[in-house]
Amino acid sequence: MLRIEHLNLTLGTTPLLVNVNLCVAAGEVVTLTGASGAGKSTLLNWLIGNLPTAFSASGALWLGPRRCDALPTEARGIGILFQDDLLFAHLSVGQNLAFALPASSTGAARRAVVEQTLAGVGLAGFHERDPATLSGGQRARVSLMRALLAQPQALLLDEPFSKLDATLRAQFRGFVFEQIARQRLPTLLVTHDAADAPPGARVIDLSTWQSGANHA
Amino acid sequence: MAQTLRRPLSFWLAVLGVALVFAPLLPGLVWGLSPSINSAVWHSLWLDPQVPQALVATLTSGLLGPALACLLAAGAASALYPGPGWLALQRRLPTLLAVPHAAFAIGLLFLIAPSGWLARAIGQFLSWTVPPAWVTVQDPYALALALALALKESWFLLWSVAAVLGEQAVAQQLVCARSLGYSRAQIWRQVLWPQLLPRLGWPLAAVLGYALSVVDMALILGPTTPPTVAVLAWQWLLDPDARLQAQGGAAALGLLILFAGGVALVRGLWLLGQRGRGYPKGQRQPERPPRWPWQLTLTAPGYAVVAVLALWSVAQSWFFPALWPAALTGASWHGADIGPMWTTLWLAATCSTLCLALILLWLEAGPRQANGWLYLPLMVPALPLVAAQYAALLHAQLDASVAGLVWSHALWVLPYTLLTLVGPYRAFDDRLTTTARALGCSAWQACWRVKWPLLLRPLLASWAVGFAVSVAQYLPTLFVGAGRFATVTTEAVSLSAGGNPRVLAVQALLQVLLPLLAFALASSWPRWAARHRLGWR
Amino acid sequence: MKLSTRLSTLATLALACLLPLAAHADWAQTGRAARGQTVYFNAWGGSEAANRYLDWAAQQVQARYGVTLKHVKVSDAAEVVKRIQTEVAAGRRSGGSVDLMWVNGENFRNLKNAKLLYGPWAESLPNWSLVDATKPVRQDFSVPTDGFESPWGTAQLTFITNAAITPKPPRSAAQWLAFAQAHPGRVTYPKPPNFYGTTFLKQLLIELGPNKALLQQPVTPPAFASATAPLWSYLDQLHPSLWRQGKSFAANAADMHRMLADGELLLSFTFNPNDAANLIASGQLPPTVQSYGFSGGTIGNVHFLAIPVNANAAAGAQVVANFLLSPQAQLRKADIQVWGDGTVLDVVKLTPDQQAALRQKPPGALTEAVATLAEPHASWVEALEAEWLKRYGAR
Repeated sequence: MLRIEHLNLTLGTTPLLVNVNLCVAAGEVVTLTGASGAGKSTLLNWLIGNLPTAFSASGALWLGPRRCDALPTEARGIGILFQDDLLFAHLSVGQNLAFALPASSTGAARRAVVEQTLAGVGLAGFHERDPATLSGGQRARVSLMRALLAQPQALLLDEPFSKLDATLRAQFRGFVFEQIARQRLPTLLVTHDAADAPPGARVIDLSTWQSGANHA
Repeated sequence: MAQTLRRPLSFWLAVLGVALVFAPLLPGLVWGLSPSINSAVWHSLWLDPQVPQALVATLTSGLLGPALACLLAAGAASALYPGPGWLALQRRLPTLLAVPHAAFAIGLLFLIAPSGWLARAIGQFLSWTVPPAWVTVQDPYALALALALALKESWFLLWSVAAVLGEQAVAQQLVCARSLGYSRAQIWRQVLWPQLLPRLGWPLAAVLGYALSVVDMALILGPTTPPTVAVLAWQWLLDPDARLQAQGGAAALGLLILFAGGVALVRGLWLLGQRGRGYPKGQRQPERPPRWPWQLTLTAPGYAVVAVLALWSVAQSWFFPALWPAALTGASWHGADIGPMWTTLWLAATCSTLCLALILLWLEAGPRQANGWLYLPLMVPALPLVAAQYAALLHAQLDASVAGLVWSHALWVLPYTLLTLVGPYRAFDDRLTTTARALGCSAWQACWRVKWPLLLRPLLASWAVGFAVSVAQYLPTLFVGAGRFATVTTEAVSLSAGGNPRVLAVQALLQVLLPLLAFALASSWPRWAARHRLGWR
Repeated sequence: MKLSTRLSTLATLALACLLPLAAHADWAQTGRAARGQTVYFNAWGGSEAANRYLDWAAQQVQARYGVTLKHVKVSDAAEVVKRIQTEVAAGRRSGGSVDLMWVNGENFRNLKNAKLLYGPWAESLPNWSLVDATKPVRQDFSVPTDGFESPWGTAQLTFITNAAITPKPPRSAAQWLAFAQAHPGRVTYPKPPNFYGTTFLKQLLIELGPNKALLQQPVTPPAFASATAPLWSYLDQLHPSLWRQGKSFAANAADMHRMLADGELLLSFTFNPNDAANLIASGQLPPTVQSYGFSGGTIGNVHFLAIPVNANAAAGAQVVANFLLSPQAQLRKADIQVWGDGTVLDVVKLTPDQQAALRQKPPGALTEAVATLAEPHASWVEALEAEWLKRYGAR
């Protein structure tokens, strides 16, 4: 479970978000919408541990029993998926995935897991392929699997569907939510398009935190 | 097929512009170097007793210096990017880059020589009355030269790295990989450097070429018995004996071979490193905060050098073991001639502006893959090229003319302008020009009104680099100018032959002043122009 | 006396009277041609005293003769020679970039042998008559000048030491060796083929060599081997006691001055006996520094001015050279407050006031009279340099 408690984000002296309180259950996808400049990216930055120095924040972040807001990015165990797939261009598709695997699996077992993952997303035999030769949809899938293979305890999605066309969008969306449900990850999705939210999920407009009212 | 054969006029104009700078010296180069293409000459070169140790000194300074520069630049980038320390370092780089190589070498000499400032500082505590018997400068293995090269070139490499790191994708990749649990050091080693280093190939090659063929720094800091191969080639090429001249030409060609060997070595090591990377094992290392003071390591030597030069320029008598000058005087500054500064100013401004125009034409309309040819002058010792230029100008009756001098400087200004501009130029989002054209502009109008104004900062930065390169030119001004034009650098070299440290310091600081102004202009003009346009900065 | 003999004697007498007139007419023509010309004088720029002197000379020459003198500062005369060679090889036999150059020794010999010099012109200068013919003004390193270069000043190998630290400096080759061994690591000499280093070698050769007359002849391999054998054994003994154990040498005399000033070295070299005074005045050396020579004499020579064959302003160059040879210019040059470079003029031919002016000595200048030894033949220089490089050029 992902819990944000009493978060206040300010840029210099201007308050951006006031008294954010949010609880995301395991497997739940909470969608955040809002106008541009409302502070969506800033919130994600704070969650991932990459808040620029111009901003200041106070509040607590809990991931299960662990308190994370003072930990550096690599120690939090939160995965992130950006708009761009950001596959590492010098590694093959399989090596990109292997990069994310924890060190606990070694040797041949490691490769087996990667091959299995690729097969699971319909990219069997793509292990040695150059990421640049994949289509947009294929890259997006690999990018998601890379984030999931690291066994994160929560997932952040920063408008991951906006670069995909309509059919691909729907396909990939469904795929993402399926994986999230399977791994029971608390997820925060940031998007413009309200249609991106899974059916029945909570949709929160960021302006609620800008006026001071809060939701639980 | 027919499409590729029918190039537009602008293509040929771009090629012609660049060819005008390079082509005329080819006959002179062939004529000057042909006596060296002779097995007897190479045999006598091989047998010369000075060559083996000169080779060792050259390899040490020429390989160790750039390697150390790479480590410094890479270490600083890995540790500081993308925090406030990185921004602070980037702001200081133009000042450091404005110090010419020879001036830096002189300042370093004043710092680390046995009677230099560091020895005097230590001598205060140990009550020295006589300088210690250190071998810190002009040491037989050229380590002092390697150190000077490492420091000076690390700034240039940082400048190039900064250009590459300015792109958004790098920052996001860093965040992405950190979210996978890796420490920053690991990410740099496994993710970022493997992608970025190939893009720094040409700046690295330029640094290697310079380190192998440098003469003025080697004369100040390098060994004397025997000197480096570049200095030997210089001495032989200036000798009236035709046999030794041919040997000097052969030594210059030998440096070119060494350069090719160095490049092959680095590429081989790189491929080996890539091959040996193996399957990602997924081991995460704990994050360790950077303990090494990178900013201090990189900037302190530069500031120390300038400070000691400034102190010497106002010193009256200052003998070992005094830590401060016995008396200060402005006489050295008062006696300095200002005339050469004006000559240097208009010469450098004209040359760098012309070269910028040529490079813009080349990048916009010229061949995409042929940049390597333009970098050749950086890899070769300067003296044969200058002699060839002089011969060409003599035939054209243009020696000792302003046009001839500007043309000869262009041979070195052009590659550096290209080197600094090509990255940002290629990274420019072409959708902006497409949009402009869709709004009704012709291709050149789109360049003139949209692309080049948006690229103002990189354009001015490469102009400033070209300016600094022109200021530092000694041989072309001396030969091609036929002694008619006295620039700050020719004055510095000829006056420094007398060994007066005050004169050396004043001339070195004058050499720093002009590029500093150029860099200041290059950073302040875009800021002023974009004062109401945040997205333009 | 027969009429024909009388007539021919008369004719010869008439010619003898007319020749100076003819020469005078020639010189007047040169002077007219020179007016308005710009003379590019390529001279070593490392001496601030010399640079200031040339600034003064430029003003004088402009005012008196309407010639514009421009001092092109070079760091090494070899660069100028290379430039002239490149120009002539490219076919530029007139309108060259160098009009007048400060030269002697090897550079002169190479230019003369390659026929790159204009002339002969030196002995047709009006002020030539004032020159002291007992000084080696017609020989440059034993190569006859043949009028291709005009003498400008004298030079003598002189040593500099800090009298406060070294009250009894070495005054002969043998004393030098003993001194170096008594003070290991504090003595050195510039690396040949630097001018100073080579001259030091020649100085040692003259003192140590068995047959001094042989050095005036062109070098031959057997003569070289026999004359230099004592020199190499001396150097083999000397080098281990030198600065950095003789594995590395100073690059030039300027570096040695700096090391002397800071106490790293105990001795330095110069060619101008008044150089130490100039350096004390400019603060480069401490005030306790003294010049001295060897008791047996040191090598002295004359430095010259030459005009390249393709000079653009040969007439102007000759006018400038003549002015630099004039008593006024030579005296100002010898004035230790200005430069202190020795004069080539015969003191006897000057006025008493001028003679008195030449006798002044400032602190640091050479107070003793040091005998001048003759230079060896120029061919010995190359042989010495090559052999030294072979033996000691690498560690």
